[in-house]
Amino acid sequence: MSDMISTLNTFIADEILKQPGRTFAANEALISSGLIDSFSLMDLALFVEDTFGVQIDDTELNADTFDTLEALSEIIQSRS
Amino acid sequence: MTITQILILAFLAILLGWLTRKRQRVNLLLTASVLIIFWLQPALPLRYLDFFLPTFSIGFTVLAWTLTASPEERYKKETKTSAAITLGIILLLAATRYLGLTNFLTPTRPPAIGQILLLLAIFTVGAFLLTRQRPSSSNTLLWAGFALLVAFFIILKTPALVLIASRGWRLFIGQNANLASSSDIHWLGYSYLAFRLIHTIRDRQSGRLPDLALGEYLTYVIFFPSFSVGPIDRAERFIKGLRQPENSYRDDILVGGQRLLLGLFKKFVIADSLAMIALNPLSSTQAQNSLGAWILLYAYTFQIFFDFSGYTDIAIGLAQFVGISLPENFMEPYRQPNLTLFWNNWHITLTQWFRSYFFNPFVRALRKSRKISAGMMILISQLATMILIGLWHGLTWNFLLWGLWHGLGLFVQNRWSGWAKVRIAEASISSRAQRILSIFGIMLTFNYIALGWVWFVIPDPVQGWQFILLLWGAA
Amino acid sequence: MSLKINPWRLLLKAGILFAAFNFAFTMLPTSSGNSVSLYNNLVPGRERLPFGENPTDAYNLSLFDIDAMFASHIISDGLKSENEYRVVIVGDSSVWGTLLRPEETLSGQLNALNLTNADGKNIQTYNLGYPTISLTKDLLVLEKAMEYKPDLVIWMLTLESLPADKQLTAPLVSHNPVRVRRLLADYELKLEFNSDALTHPTFWDTTLIGRRRSLADWSRLQFYGVMWGITGIDQLYPETYEPAKIDFEEDNLFHDWAPSELPLEELAFPVIGAAYSIAGNVPLILVNEPILISDGVYSDIRYNYFYPRWAYDQYRNVFSDMSLENDWVYYDYWDIIPVDEFTNSAVHLSVAGEEILADIISEMILFEAAR
Repeated sequence: MSDMISTLNTFIADEILKQPGRTFAANEALISSGLIDSFSLMDLALFVEDTFGVQIDDTELNADTFDTLEALSEIIQSRS
Repeated sequence: MTITQILILAFLAILLGWLTRKRQRVNLLLTASVLIIFWLQPALPLRYLDFFLPTFSIGFTVLAWTLTASPEERYKKETKTSAAITLGIILLLAATRYLGLTNFLTPTRPPAIGQILLLLAIFTVGAFLLTRQRPSSSNTLLWAGFALLVAFFIILKTPALVLIASRGWRLFIGQNANLASSSDIHWLGYSYLAFRLIHTIRDRQSGRLPDLALGEYLTYVIFFPSFSVGPIDRAERFIKGLRQPENSYRDDILVGGQRLLLGLFKKFVIADSLAMIALNPLSSTQAQNSLGAWILLYAYTFQIFFDFSGYTDIAIGLAQFVGISLPENFMEPYRQPNLTLFWNNWHITLTQWFRSYFFNPFVRALRKSRKISAGMMILISQLATMILIGLWHGLTWNFLLWGLWHGLGLFVQNRWSGWAKVRIAEASISSRAQRILSIFGIMLTFNYIALGWVWFVIPDPVQGWQFILLLWGAA
Repeated sequence: MSLKINPWRLLLKAGILFAAFNFAFTMLPTSSGNSVSLYNNLVPGRERLPFGENPTDAYNLSLFDIDAMFASHIISDGLKSENEYRVVIVGDSSVWGTLLRPEETLSGQLNALNLTNADGKNIQTYNLGYPTISLTKDLLVLEKAMEYKPDLVIWMLTLESLPADKQLTAPLVSHNPVRVRRLLADYELKLEFNSDALTHPTFWDTTLIGRRRSLADWSRLQFYGVMWGITGIDQLYPETYEPAKIDFEEDNLFHDWAPSELPLEELAFPVIGAAYSIAGNVPLILVNEPILISDGVYSDIRYNYFYPRWAYDQYRNVFSDMSLENDWVYYDYWDIIPVDEFTNSAVHLSVAGEEILADIISEMILFEAAR
């Protein structure tokens, strides 16, 4: 679980925000806060699909389905 | 909806909330919703059309259910009950023609019973035929349904096509075709109906649609509090509350009542007052100076918010009375520091819908093809999405420009924030400077949105441009 | 989520509060003599009293609160300056200026002449005309106008505003029963007015609910004031209108009266006497306003839509005799405007017609101001 969160954290910090080394709390709002925009969200979804082999549907890319690293990793775990 | 209609609906919803707390939930809500969509449909100059359009709304929904439901759902006992209720009420309404009760539940005298029976028979046979589809053809049929919904949408939103349709109907029913006008057809709730049906069709195709009984599906699509003004709920979310209310009746009445009062105040006190001084095509040509023009524009900017979010509050409040929590549609949209966040908080369920069924698939396809640069991809997808949202309001030049305005705004903001994000983080500026930056962002965003409304309000783009010049004192 | 509130008790409390709030309203005076207004503060004052049947397009509306109406008028803008010689003009729609822009009306054209009196004071004219024809309505306006310290009052009137049955039916009159009853009592206007038109306000009329109409009117007046400020529009100006009739049937009735004598007791001349009492030391000039004099079919019987010749001729004679008798200052300008300069009524003038009238009235003002 924590491995998964740190993998996601690294990807978001390095590739999306271009702020290597930045860390997020597991329950920090990422989407509703505007930190990750809709394009980056697609990058994140593609990354998750490639890395964890888990499909995230287009209708799920919103803050209601997952807004935090914790919620995202739960979705990934429940599907893998 | 008028204030009288809303108060009648509120009374009805409180009563229904109490009656449906334990049993007959779906049947009673379905009964009420079918009755109400006929009652709310405005009278039309085209004879009998104001009875046929709600009938079509229901017919389309039944066909869409047949397309999307699993075979097990189709043959359940409840299916027959729901179908019987729906048919029974339409026939009951049709019977008012012969009972001397016309204009009570329907806007005008219903057509002769034979015509209605024929139409109902067509829909019923259609539904039966669809149940016999081979699984191999089901995806094709789903796409056909999708295309049909979009086609109707295009007709209804294009003035020239409405005119043709109106002429056609007049010739068909024996009215004077020369009197046809492009404002003849107002199909109450069609666009929201189409959004909900397309959502279920696309989710069926991706295998994500939950199993819904006919009564549940119908109630979801034509649910009377949100039928004509939104919000656009998602089926899987809606049926949770439909199957089992989340809160006690007492809490629902309190929470819903508060929400309803707030909505009434926003719509009928604030918005209707602002309407007296809000920009409209006529007043845009009458303002004598730049200051006056800005007042008109700001008044409109707040009027459209209070009007729309007020109606949404009313819908949410009414739904709460019957134990269903609808999703939020507006979350302080004008207090957002950038345009992306504005669109995350303005007409939320609509933008979510476009994100799910247009933007995300589009971006995914572009990303996977890897043929264009990231910047180009962002430009194209923002423009395409916002133009579509613009054209949803009507297939006219001014809505296209409005979409373009927001698409370009989103693109510029996306590029800017990508550029600034890195530098601001590096500069690690003080929290006070960040506050000032955020206030500046709110003001800039708000004014950009306000200027965008010019295209939205004034149908003629040349006149819109002249008003923009006036705003800057250049007219 | 569980809220520890009983909805029924909440409802009861809300009901009691609402009722209390309503009764608190009855303590507020229905007429305070002045009125809170955005006009002359945030938005410019109106150049004529608010009146209109198409508020959404004309940015103007008819209401019955005389204080609020005056508060929206430019006459309420600050105190009268030392250097101002103030002239107010009261009368019907011909003074208010149907189909005319504010600057085209009689007052507007008089102001454009930039007149000064013998002491070098600027003669400033205010349009206090108000559509609907009733002397009693004019009296209400005139009484309120006296609060604004005019130096000269000009009252434009015509026979049509005199019949007793016209007096109390004007909406502004019938909706101001308290004021009107007081005027009738103070000046002993014991005409056989049909006072059924004037209702007695009940206690319920003074609650918030009872006053909702006038509160809503007040608030709409303020909002449309913003539009007046932005657009300068206070009336709809149609592209075309139906011109005043010049051809008539063979009909010599005036109201229900046939020749040969006007029943003087059915005419409201005493109202003019009351106006002189109200004006006190301020000079009040009566002007018989211009009417259309037709040359069309049966114009030998009728001057216009309103007047058969016999009745109008008699009225002029009576008016002139009464003025001499009572020391009223009376000018008769009934026939100074050519028939082509009338618009949609036998008393509504075109811009050019108002110009002719303004020239004559300006001389009259200069003459009276010098007395």
